[in-house]
Amino acid sequence: MNRAFVEAVRTFKSEPFRSVDLVERLGYAAGYARNVLSQASRQGLLIAESGKGRREKKFRVNPDVVREVVLRGGKEKGELLEALGLRSKYLGEYVALRGFRVVDHDLDLYSLSERVFSNAEMQGEIVVTNVGTPKRIITVEL
Amino acid sequence: MGSRLDVGRCWRFNDDEQPAYPTINVTLSSRGRKVLITPKVDTGFNGSLAIGSGDVRRLRLTPAGTVLIRTATGSNEVPVYLVKVSQPELAIAYTTLAIGTERSLVGRKLLQNRTWLLDCREGRLCIVTRAG
Repeated sequence: MNRAFVEAVRTFKSEPFRSVDLVERLGYAAGYARNVLSQASRQGLLIAESGKGRREKKFRVNPDVVREVVLRGGKEKGELLEALGLRSKYLGEYVALRGFRVVDHDLDLYSLSERVFSNAEMQGEIVVTNVGTPKRIITVEL
Repeated sequence: MGSRLDVGRCWRFNDDEQPAYPTINVTLSSRGRKVLITPKVDTGFNGSLAIGSGDVRRLRLTPAGTVLIRTATGSNEVPVYLVKVSQPELAIAYTTLAIGTERSLVGRKLLQNRTWLLDCREGRLCIVTRAG
């Protein structure tokens, strides 16, 4: 997950954007912006939306990326959650995410999971994770 | 006069390491697959269940997220799995999040609301019931 993609998430979240938006809002050179969009689309990080013409082509961040990154964990997860604005809102909590959307959050992992996974249909779509170090962290063999 | 304490169902310690450690039996199931496991009882674990990688494979579980946990050696990020845990003697049958670890463990959350006898001399962990 490259820096430009994280910045696109931070700036546009789930909103559509064009190459020119990367130029105007993120200060990228036009050629670089086109390369970013092309590369991120090939990697499946962005979804291209068909417009009226090539100049109108819009992109959205692929919501499936959120799930994939959360399940991979590590530094990328922290960067993505921060870019989504979750660190400022839910620091120390557990969140349940469906794409970009926070469907629920709680200080207690088990209370959260009882609520969000009670609906069997949602079980394959939701991921749970911590934002920063949990205030009620799970301890093992301590 | 106080009530009498009776020793109920007991589980033998596992002596595959020394000193031997307490265990209980639980049944895990997910999407039609079921395994009976004998996890170590870990009173330093404040969650309900940790599931070892072998049991994850046997149940073909897929992660439902990742969480940061604290262990004796530091902090680790681990996968979490949705699994049904049942233990008839403890009147337990519910779906919970199990954290993915090297070996399967039962934590305090699963043991709470019961009185227990940790009988190291006889090598057994028993449910204690109040009578009278």
